[in-house]
Amino acid sequence: MFVEEIPNFLDTITGSIFLVGAITLTCVIGGVLAGYLVATFRHGPFEAFYVVSSVIAQAIPDFLRTSPRRVYAIARLAAKEAIRRRVILVTFLIFALALLFGGWFINSGVSNPEQVYVNFVLFGTQLLILMLALLISAFSLPEDIKNKTIFTIVTKPVRSTEVILGRIMGFGALCTVLLFTMALISLLFVWRGLSHQHEMVSNNDNPEAVVGSISSFNDVVTPGKAKTGRRVSANCIKELMTGLENGHRHQLEYIREVRSPDDVPPNEDSVVKKETLPDGDIVYFRVVCQPAAGHTHAVKIEQRDGESIVKLGPARGYFRARVPIYCQKVNYYSREGILKGVVERSGERKTAEGKKTKETVGINVGKQNNYRGFLDGSTALSRAEFEFQDFSDARFGGDSQKIPLELSLGVFRTHKGKIDRRIRASIQFESVQSDPNDASESFFISDPPLVFETMEYELQTLTISRKLRGRHIDANGVEISSGEFDLFDDFGANGKLKVIVRCEDAGQYIGVGLGDVYFRAEDNVYWLNFFKGYVGIWFQMMIVVTLGVVFSTFLSTPVTMLGTSCVVVLGFLSKFIRNMRAPESAGGGPIESMVRLVTQQNMVEEMEQSFATTLMKQADVVFVYCLNSLTYVAPNFGKLDFSSFLKYGYWIETDRLMVAGAASLALCFGLFVFGYFCLKTREIAG
Amino acid sequence: MASETKAAKEESVKDFKKSLETNPDYDPNIVVETQNLTKVYRDFWGRQKVRALKALDMEIRKGEIFGLLGPNGSGKSTTIKLLLGLLFPTTGRALVFGQDATEVTKNERIGYLPEESYLYKFLTAEETLDFYGRLFDMPGSVRRQRVAELIEKVGLTWAKRRQLKEYSKGMTRRIGLAQALVNDPDLILLDEPTSGLDPIGTREMKDMIIELRDQGKTVVMCSHLLADVQDVCDRIAILYQGELKELGRVDNLLQVSDQTEIRTKDLPAEAEEEIRQVLVKHGAKDISIEQPRTTLEELFLNIVRESEERPGHRMIDQREESAKQ
Repeated sequence: MFVEEIPNFLDTITGSIFLVGAITLTCVIGGVLAGYLVATFRHGPFEAFYVVSSVIAQAIPDFLRTSPRRVYAIARLAAKEAIRRRVILVTFLIFALALLFGGWFINSGVSNPEQVYVNFVLFGTQLLILMLALLISAFSLPEDIKNKTIFTIVTKPVRSTEVILGRIMGFGALCTVLLFTMALISLLFVWRGLSHQHEMVSNNDNPEAVVGSISSFNDVVTPGKAKTGRRVSANCIKELMTGLENGHRHQLEYIREVRSPDDVPPNEDSVVKKETLPDGDIVYFRVVCQPAAGHTHAVKIEQRDGESIVKLGPARGYFRARVPIYCQKVNYYSREGILKGVVERSGERKTAEGKKTKETVGINVGKQNNYRGFLDGSTALSRAEFEFQDFSDARFGGDSQKIPLELSLGVFRTHKGKIDRRIRASIQFESVQSDPNDASESFFISDPPLVFETMEYELQTLTISRKLRGRHIDANGVEISSGEFDLFDDFGANGKLKVIVRCEDAGQYIGVGLGDVYFRAEDNVYWLNFFKGYVGIWFQMMIVVTLGVVFSTFLSTPVTMLGTSCVVVLGFLSKFIRNMRAPESAGGGPIESMVRLVTQQNMVEEMEQSFATTLMKQADVVFVYCLNSLTYVAPNFGKLDFSSFLKYGYWIETDRLMVAGAASLALCFGLFVFGYFCLKTREIAG
Repeated sequence: MASETKAAKEESVKDFKKSLETNPDYDPNIVVETQNLTKVYRDFWGRQKVRALKALDMEIRKGEIFGLLGPNGSGKSTTIKLLLGLLFPTTGRALVFGQDATEVTKNERIGYLPEESYLYKFLTAEETLDFYGRLFDMPGSVRRQRVAELIEKVGLTWAKRRQLKEYSKGMTRRIGLAQALVNDPDLILLDEPTSGLDPIGTREMKDMIIELRDQGKTVVMCSHLLADVQDVCDRIAILYQGELKELGRVDNLLQVSDQTEIRTKDLPAEAEEEIRQVLVKHGAKDISIEQPRTTLEELFLNIVRESEERPGHRMIDQREESAKQ
């Protein structure tokens, strides 16, 4: 999952307030001018001035005197209308049928079935609820105008603000109830779909043994390989496969594990027997369930008639809401040790000189997403420094001795060799000066660096010990002391910590992005996170309802549906359109590409220089510019989609939700004001 | 609670009146005023399609029943829609209670019954009136009381919990009238109020219109059923092709100044002949002395009333029957 920005609500709001103000002012001036032009066309320039002034003069009391009781009455009516037309019931039935029969076609034997389930319910809910929102909002007002029922409303002291707001709130409330119900059922569906237990099956190679007993396990003939030919861990003595459930089996390993008396003992339930060695170490003979399909199971040993019988508990590893503690910024250094650029928490990229850039920070390894910057291998100076703030043990449960650090690094290979060979990387911890200008401040650095192997597309967890070997160095670079230091009390004494990532293999590159290295705090509640994921759909739904109602103030039902659908599609595809091939690159813009397609011309071949070609290229420039501009007018639905957080099991930060909510609210309010003027200046009986 | 609402309404009316003080030309006795009111319907490209109303100047006074008469397409409904702010004038002005017709606050004192009772068919009668009551910001207890009163008044207590889609046309008109009266308005605009009603319903509607006038309310109705207009209206305006052709009191307009009508009861035949001779002696022309006829409406209502009092077979006048044969 790419975490391109880690928003902070207050920073975002204060940063956007001027932009929102400027846009509002432009829209107001533009709206007044447009209104004046239309009125001039209808009434002439002098009368138009009077008309526009009277509309503006009436607008202020209309907004200020909007009555909650009238809004509530219209909202209730809108909701009743939708309920009695049975459109809600039909939507719910489709959803229920999809869940009833859709479950048959979900392949839960894949590597991560949780993703498949979550994808299915989220996509299904999103599709249905957005279609419902579009339908009920686009039909209501035009139908009222067509049937003239609106006559009995606007001849009461009802303001245009109340007509629009009432409808938005009525449909919004109704869709909210339905969405909440769908979310609840979806949660049950996912939970029911993923919950399973494996039965122990009799071993054909050892049919006399009691099913599930240790004696029914297959022997290991050579270390790492069982009699059955299956690969096992190095310390495995016996192994057995469980019964098939949800399209997968787990391998159970009966292992011999030696631990010192000071070590944390393994889970007692999984231990078959233990022995104490002469040197005091303890040997644990226990059963381990190997992960499959993204989860594992708790093992419980039961003694029955002198036999140790293995029982497996419910699935573990699903329904996570990991809480990452992300860094404040990432600094990239070249192989010469020179700062190449910075990626801020807000997702902003800056060059070493502090200029904003959209290019890759760090080494660019070619045509790849610019999310990750790459680091040279085997050079101590080429590195990425992740700076953390508010780093304290309280965020990890107080007295935790093991701190999980998770990484999902990118790898770029300049020589392949064995393609599945892992690349070596290292991390080092360093304290950060409280005052960057204070030259007298000493610092801690962990030494030696922690070297590990990594692969592309892999999320790995390193467990960092709270006590780290390292050095205490004064401002002049002279070592004060060395030994074990505390990650929180020494390295992060001022609440700041630097994690330095390097690539250790010569000629290879490690790629790091803003969200690629993070500490993992205690997991949060899954069901809450699940509902947070639905809040994103709720924002999208409210925008669609508002768009539908506002468009229907001046358009007919079919045109409203078409217009709203276009905006929604544009909103979902905005990123794709912005990334569309620029007219100056190979193949040209949309028109040139079409010409090449029809005339079967090569993408890279230069087109013949002529007036027509120039005209076409210029038209492409305008076309792409217009399309790009349109994407900024349409709401960016991608930013309101939190499904990837649920799919990958990450906690959705409240700030992220609040920023999305504030942006949606601002958009809906803008649309509402626009809708007000459209309805106010419309002849209802015209 | 009721006194609280009354106080709130008085406050609102006071505010409204205060706002009118800014209009020095406002005469509280003139409820509706149009000045050179013109409406031109245009097509999408702004080209003139039809001139529905041409420079209408008229005044409607407080406490009268004013009728707008005219054939289809004469501009009656356009005038009503302009007064309600459903249409915007092309030129001229429409003032209601001294305020521009597009002003929302004037609707506090207006009740409107549209031509076809455009109501939400999926609501029951109770829900309908409750909804419209809410639009007037009426508190719950007052609203409930008012809804019950109005349902009783229009005689729909027995069907108050039925959805309007199950209502007959007459019942729909009744509930339409009830919604127009939910705010106890000072000005009531009725578009074809008797359309779709049976003779009894028509009579009740006309009685109700007169009752409203007697309560001091102003009623504006448009209709092409001339008998209805004649029965209830104090003043009328006759429109034809968007132009005002006649305006005045019904009594004056219908008076035939060159004819004389003498009415009496139980006059003997000899006296009738004597009168005829006197009239001839004085040079009277086109003399006609005959027994007056009742209206079909009166006859029908008498029969219904009689039938309600004495159910069963009714004796039909045999002379009439044999005369027909």
